[in-house]
Amino acid sequence: MKDLAVRLAALDPDAGAALSVIAYFDRLIEARAGLQTIVRGAAVLAGCPARLVDDTRRVQVRVQPDGSTAPAAGLDPAWMSAAVGEATLWLEKPGPPGPVEAMVLERAAAAAKGVLDRTRGHPPQADPALIELVVDAEADEPARLQAAARLGYKATDRVRAIALEDGSAALHPESAEPPLDRAGVGPAGPVAALPESWAAARVALRFTAEGTEQDPGRRVVHADELGGLVLLAAAVGPGTEPVPDVRALDRATAPWMLTTLDAVAETASLRAAATALRVHHSTLQDRLAHTIPVLGWDVREPRGRLRLQLALALRRLHRSRPPA
Amino acid sequence: MTSVLPETSGTVGPPPPFDPELAAALDVIGAQLPSAITAEMIPAMRTGGVMADLSDEELSRGGAFTVARHLAPGPAGDPEVELLVLTPTGHTTPLPAIYHTHGGGMVVGNNRSGVDALQDWVTEVPAVIVSVEYRLAPEHPDPAPVEDCYAGLVWTAEHAAELGIDAERIVIAGASAGGGLAAGVALLARDRSGPALFGQMLLCPMIDDRNDTPSAVQMAGRGVWDRTANDTGWTALLGAARGGPDVSPYAAPARATDLANLPPAFIDVGSAETFRDEDVAYASRLWQAGGRAELHVWPGGFHGFDMMAPQAAVSQEARAARVRWLKRLLG
Repeated sequence: MKDLAVRLAALDPDAGAALSVIAYFDRLIEARAGLQTIVRGAAVLAGCPARLVDDTRRVQVRVQPDGSTAPAAGLDPAWMSAAVGEATLWLEKPGPPGPVEAMVLERAAAAAKGVLDRTRGHPPQADPALIELVVDAEADEPARLQAAARLGYKATDRVRAIALEDGSAALHPESAEPPLDRAGVGPAGPVAALPESWAAARVALRFTAEGTEQDPGRRVVHADELGGLVLLAAAVGPGTEPVPDVRALDRATAPWMLTTLDAVAETASLRAAATALRVHHSTLQDRLAHTIPVLGWDVREPRGRLRLQLALALRRLHRSRPPA
Repeated sequence: MTSVLPETSGTVGPPPPFDPELAAALDVIGAQLPSAITAEMIPAMRTGGVMADLSDEELSRGGAFTVARHLAPGPAGDPEVELLVLTPTGHTTPLPAIYHTHGGGMVVGNNRSGVDALQDWVTEVPAVIVSVEYRLAPEHPDPAPVEDCYAGLVWTAEHAAELGIDAERIVIAGASAGGGLAAGVALLARDRSGPALFGQMLLCPMIDDRNDTPSAVQMAGRGVWDRTANDTGWTALLGAARGGPDVSPYAAPARATDLANLPPAFIDVGSAETFRDEDVAYASRLWQAGGRAELHVWPGGFHGFDMMAPQAAVSQEARAARVRWLKRLLG
C-alpha cells in the first residue's frame, strides 16, 4: 500500500487532494483527537516531519512521516509554518508550501487550535499545596523535588517562582512569557533552587505598582533587574517611618503628577518620557517645573532623577503588603 | 454473480466506530477501494495497482536480503510452485523461517504481496522469508490454493539445510486470505504428519466461508472487504459448495472440528471488520482445545488497517505486537 502522501500527490491538488485533507482533519476534530494525532496527520499527509511548538504551554510534539514520534532538534525558520494561536505548527521542509502543504498547514493548525483552546480554559490544576511545598525553604529537598515532579517538573528543568499579589506562588518554566497579573518574578534556576527564587520573587513583588494614576509603575518586576534596590526592601518594614521624599510624593495630588514623574524615572530622556505620556515636549517641561515646589527638588537634574527613582521605589515598598 | 446472503440469527447493534485516525485515512483511501467487491471486479483488481509489486531491487533493500526463486513440485499432477526466498545477509548459522501465504481474497495477489511487512519483522527477528506463489481462484478453486501452499512448505522443510533454514523453526504467516491459507496448511501439516510448524501467524485471517457472523452482518457495506466482498472471495474458491455442508476444514479452517495439537498461534483482527467474530472464535477454540494462542482485537480497526494506514497509532501498536510475539517465540 502506498503512503497517504503519495496517494494525495496523485490527486488533483486543487480539488481532490484538498478535499481529502479537509476530510482527514474534519474526522479528527469530530473525534476530539489529541495534538499528537493531529500532528501525525500533518506529517503523514505532507510526507515530512511535522511539529507543534507551544512554549508557553510547554507543548512540543514532533512526528515523522512514518507516524513515529521523535525528539525535536533545532528549528529552521525557512520551514513552512502556520500560527496556531500563540503556538506554531511546522512542516520540516523549506517553503513556499505547495497547494497540498498549504492545505495541510491550514487544516492541521485549525484542528490543533481547537484542542489548545479547549484545554487552555482548563489549565492543568496545579495544586497550591504542592507549589507551596516546592518553594518552601524549610522543606527538605527530596520532598520538594517530589512535589515538583507531581507538578510536571523534572529536577533539571529551569523554573522561576512567581509571587502574586494575593501572596500565592506560581511556577513558570524559564522560557514562558512573563505573567500578565501583577507579579514579582524570581530568577530561573533548577527546581531545587526554587525557595531562593521564591524569596527573590516576593521582594520583586514589593517593587511592583498597580499601574494606575495613583500608583503608576510596572506591574511585573523581575528580581534579576533590581540590583542594589534589594537592600532598600530590607530597610522598609511595616513600622518604618517614610522619608520626607516619600511624603512629598504623597502630596502630589494633581492627577497627572505621579504618572509624569514615573515616566521621567523610567525612560531614557525627557523626550522619550513625553512620547510615553503622549504630551508635547514643552508641556512636559511646564509640568516638571510645577513639581519643583511640591517635591522640593528638580527631577531634571541627574541627581534629582536618582532621588526621584529612590523615592518612587520607597513609596512602593511602603504601599506593598508587608512581608510575611 | 453474488449469492443471496442469509440473515444471521439474533440481532446485532450498529457497526462499531472506526478508530478516528483510521477513519480519516479511510476517507482518503476509500475513493480508490470499494467496500463491496464483486466477481466482475476481479480482473481489474489483478491488473490495477491496488497492491503495487515490489521489484527485486526493492526486495533486496540495498543488499540486506538476497532474493532467490525456487520451484517446488506441485500437488500430484499439478504445476510446480514458485517460492520467493528472501534471506537476510550476514548470517552464518541456520535461521528460523517465515513461510508466507499472501493475501488477496483468494483471487488476487502474488508471492511478493505483503512481504515488505515481513522484511520489517525479520530485520528485528532474523529469519528467512519463503513466500509461496499459489494458484488463484476462481480459475483454480479449492483445493488448489491450499494444496499449492502445502506443497511449497513440504519442499521448504525438505530443503531447509540448503536454504539456510533451521527446519525445526518454521513459522507460517499470512494475512487475510493468506491467514486462512496459513491456518489451513497448519491443519494439513498436522493431519498428514507433515513438516512440524513452530508457530502460525494468522493476521486478520479469512477462515469462515459461511460469512454469517454478527461482525460480517454488522460491517456490510462498510470499511474494507465487507460481506459482499467476502462472498465474492469464498464463492470464487468454493463455488456452489460455499456455506454448504461439504466444505473442507483446510479451505475454511473455522469448519475444523478438531483444533488440538496445532502450533502456537498469533491472531489479530480489527473490531470493525467482517472477520472479527470468526477470528475471535478461532482463538477461543484453540484455547478450549488445550492450545496456545495470543489474540489481539484492535479497537476500531478495519480490515488491513495496519497496511493501509501504517502511520496511525493503532497500526503501530498492531505491528509492534507481532514483532514482540516473534521475539518471544524465536528470540
